[in-house]
Amino acid sequence: MKSGALALFAAGVGGVPTFIARAADSRKILSPYKKNKILVCIFQRGAMDGLMVVSPYTDPNLKTLRPTLYMSPAETEGKLTDLDGRFGLHPSMQSLAPFFTEGRMAIVHGVGSPNNTRSHFDAQDYMESGTPFSKSSTSGWLNRAVGLLGHDATPFRAVSVTSSLPRSLYGDNEALAINNLQEFAIQMRGNPLASNLASKSFEQLYDQTSSEILNRTGKESFDAMKMLNVNNIKNYQPANGIVYPNSALGNSLKQIATLIKMNVGLEVAFAESGGWDTHFNQGTINGALGRNLKDFSDSIAAFWKDLDAYQDDVTVMTMTEFGRTAHQNGTGGTDHGRASCLFVLGNNVKGGKVYNNIKTLAKEDLEDGRDLPVSTDFRSVFSSVANGHLKINNNKSLFPTWEGQGLGLMKG
Amino acid sequence: MNFRRMYKTFTVGAIMTLLSAFVQGSHSAPEPKINMPYKKMGLTQEQAAAHLLGRFTFGIRPGQIKEVVDMGLDKWLQQQLDGNISDEEVARRLPADSYDALAMTNETIVNTYLNAGQIIRIAAKNNLLNKDSIRNLDKPEYRAQLKKLMDEQGYKAPQELQRQIVNQKIVRAAYGQNQLREVLTDFWFNHFNVSLTKGQCQQYVLTYERDAIRPNVLGNFETILEATAKHPAMLEYLDNASSVSMDNDMARQQEKSVLNRLVKQRMLAIVNDTSKPGAKILEQAIKAKKTQGLNENYAREIMELHTLGVDGGYTQQDVTTVARALTGWSIMPMYKDGPGMKLIQAAGPGLMAKRGFVVEGDFLFKADKHDENAKTILGRNFPANGGYEEGKQVLEMLANHPSTAKFICTKLATRFVSDTPSAELVNKMTDAFLKSKGNIKMVLITMANAREFWDNKALREKVKSPFEFAVSAIRATNADVQQPFQIYNWCTRMGQRFYYYQAPTGFPDRATYWINTGSLLNRMNFGLAFATEKIPGVKLNLAALNDNHEPESAEAALIIYSKILLPERNQDDNIRRLTAIVRDANLEKKITEAAVKNTVTTPDMTASSMQDDMMATTATAPTLRNRKANERAALSKKNLPVTTLYVAGNTNTVSQVAGIIIGSPEFQRK
Repeated sequence: MKSGALALFAAGVGGVPTFIARAADSRKILSPYKKNKILVCIFQRGAMDGLMVVSPYTDPNLKTLRPTLYMSPAETEGKLTDLDGRFGLHPSMQSLAPFFTEGRMAIVHGVGSPNNTRSHFDAQDYMESGTPFSKSSTSGWLNRAVGLLGHDATPFRAVSVTSSLPRSLYGDNEALAINNLQEFAIQMRGNPLASNLASKSFEQLYDQTSSEILNRTGKESFDAMKMLNVNNIKNYQPANGIVYPNSALGNSLKQIATLIKMNVGLEVAFAESGGWDTHFNQGTINGALGRNLKDFSDSIAAFWKDLDAYQDDVTVMTMTEFGRTAHQNGTGGTDHGRASCLFVLGNNVKGGKVYNNIKTLAKEDLEDGRDLPVSTDFRSVFSSVANGHLKINNNKSLFPTWEGQGLGLMKG
Repeated sequence: MNFRRMYKTFTVGAIMTLLSAFVQGSHSAPEPKINMPYKKMGLTQEQAAAHLLGRFTFGIRPGQIKEVVDMGLDKWLQQQLDGNISDEEVARRLPADSYDALAMTNETIVNTYLNAGQIIRIAAKNNLLNKDSIRNLDKPEYRAQLKKLMDEQGYKAPQELQRQIVNQKIVRAAYGQNQLREVLTDFWFNHFNVSLTKGQCQQYVLTYERDAIRPNVLGNFETILEATAKHPAMLEYLDNASSVSMDNDMARQQEKSVLNRLVKQRMLAIVNDTSKPGAKILEQAIKAKKTQGLNENYAREIMELHTLGVDGGYTQQDVTTVARALTGWSIMPMYKDGPGMKLIQAAGPGLMAKRGFVVEGDFLFKADKHDENAKTILGRNFPANGGYEEGKQVLEMLANHPSTAKFICTKLATRFVSDTPSAELVNKMTDAFLKSKGNIKMVLITMANAREFWDNKALREKVKSPFEFAVSAIRATNADVQQPFQIYNWCTRMGQRFYYYQAPTGFPDRATYWINTGSLLNRMNFGLAFATEKIPGVKLNLAALNDNHEPESAEAALIIYSKILLPERNQDDNIRRLTAIVRDANLEKKITEAAVKNTVTTPDMTASSMQDDMMATTATAPTLRNRKANERAALSKKNLPVTTLYVAGNTNTVSQVAGIIIGSPEFQRK
């Protein structure tokens, strides 16, 4: 057995947690606490403007299409971080730029769904279900991924740090949606004695109920609660004196880092970030998009540095439902478009490269003459990460109806 | 008289519907007599009443078992099937001044509760958005200006509309007399799910439940199917409103017409002259029109989820053809500043009727967007030029298909009897469905008359959904809930953010979906917080439930309140186990001391200000901070965060014991 939360059971709480016993019972696993790989997905809701975040600044069409939004690596024009002589990273993303240089972060550009809907709702739904033409899929792709991991696990295997379960995690495999880990306890506010008493009472009651599901889940809940130990969460100190941005995303990622370090069996984590629907005055360096990007970038950078010794086990992948129009609109923003870009960060990522099949922004290369076309199916990115990092090798189940190839983003 | 009123006067379709309902009614067989075999199945009247109430209501109120036994179980069920008891308590708790939207038409809602995009456009139009950036939406001065503007023009934030939808559902379920109607409203809404997560249908969700679902839950399946098919919420949610075809004479003539050619030339001239201000917008509009076409979403889901079921025997070809049959099924323009309104006003009702357009309330059949070719669906031929009637025939065919009967009856049996209903029961119900042409009452009577409903295996088999659980706690304790939104926040934490389920499948109806470690801990915490009155706006009088007698000890409290909160259930084992824990003479004293040392100061006390406002009843004057939060919320497309407020509450022994009973496994079961 590994150290960490599980040691609790050995030392103080006593016995083997129910979910471990169950897993061992079903002979699915022999050693549940071998270190699992962890995938952290961040959904940027609202459709991030990929052309501004990772800008094909050498394309002369860009400046024409976006006269006031154009930036380049030149000091006078916004100072992008040049990535490869063709693409430049937004200046607000400086905190992530070193990871690209070190070869740990890959960017995929021109990514999107084959379904050309420009509705946020539909596009998010399709991307999260992983079935771009079927709304009635009962499961999300991350939930299917969890089911394909091939071993049983703890209640903390799939956790979404959101108030309700995201579409990505709908499905038959257990997934937790929890906004605040501190709530994972029996609580009689301000009265520990009463809490303790209530907790003991519930444990007794769930232990003897004749309902199989309430009995089993009840036991698991109490085991999980002891494992998580809310006090450790309250007192969590990030490594190396890292300070997370005080934002929704920063807070979510901090909680995910806590779970990772507590070694409670996390394998798939989900967080989200809003405010990407920049129809008005999206601005350049210090505009609305820039400020949002800074939070996004700084949150991920803080998370990554905080992971410290755990970095080898973790891959972070971002996603957004679609991109935005190649041209700017009449109100200094951009409207709903097609392809955008995404980031994949991890020590096992073949990084330092902007993967893309993008042609030019000339009108004839644009979809409907206005949008960056989707030249990379999102499923070829998602499956590549799932295959390479989580060692899931069943794309037929992961993305039914899709027959494409993975992108080969991961080493080994 | 405005234009829309004029259209409402020509509702030929509506009259036809009434007529056909009349004709159908006179032909249908009489309802089977209620004859529930609970005695044969070994249950006492009291046990049977408890089971009946457990499944056909949102929970047993104190004393209700006796009421039902006195009245007679059959008579009680008949009364619930009629579903017309007057509901003063609901009316009292949903006063018109703080729940104005509940009686509004779609048109009024659309022009009052603007969606986020409309608000931003109004702000832009009134120069409230300055060059700085969109982030100035968060600035107080901007919000104050916007608030003033919205107040002046009579606009309200969409969050306020959502508050009203959510609260009314909780109030009706907790305090309504027509419990079965409410249970079925929950069931059919979930079956024909639409979602507040989709901006385009948000404004219509309230009237969807009120007009398309609730009045039809005990009627004919075909009626409720058609009502949902034509409601703007569904038309937007599954995109049928934007599914169009140019395969008709009208569209072809328009395309060829001289006027159209001139208009096109003129438009192209504008688009090509980039110095013209409107060029870009016009270009986009033309592109949008070009990309219009068939959208199969609704056609697929109506067969897969609403009628036949995924194995119901249809093909992809059927999906495409049903989509073609439903092209032109759309929504009357309602937003007074919208482009559709101008078009309708220009055409006029006479001309539209002549051209085969059909208006029924907010439903609009656009003849010039309908595919007029002949079609074959599920082997049946539909001749060309079927127009609006063609779609109605398709719905009728789907509603009465044997696959539909089986699919719907399986779902009903799953809801009311067991997560895995027996084939015998489903077959009985399916027969009743087919014989009665989809009469929902008859199906329910057949179910209640079946031995399977009363079988020992079915008793307590169903686990309550979070909503059912929370509402049953309110009912079991006669609680007075003054801030229903608080209950909603708890439901979300327990895993059921109702009205926000994104997929058209609706929430899965099975225990394995509802019960996981996180949701179960939250159920226990809900029980404790609820019974100890730590949820703001929840008032309990537990002593009154025991005729104001104070139990002598924790042990006595356990025995007394187990019986009150879980009548007709054997609790001996539970009581025995708990007694060992609570048997401590000084327990209450110790707990009180502990509470004094740790007065409530939790970070949750400072919940997000937006949530504050959502939780507050509008009856109390909103604070300045709340108002500001509301304005900010009005402009935020983000999902609402869930932060739970706690108040000091009451930690006496009786409250704690009640909390443990409510959080116990037995209370989770129906």
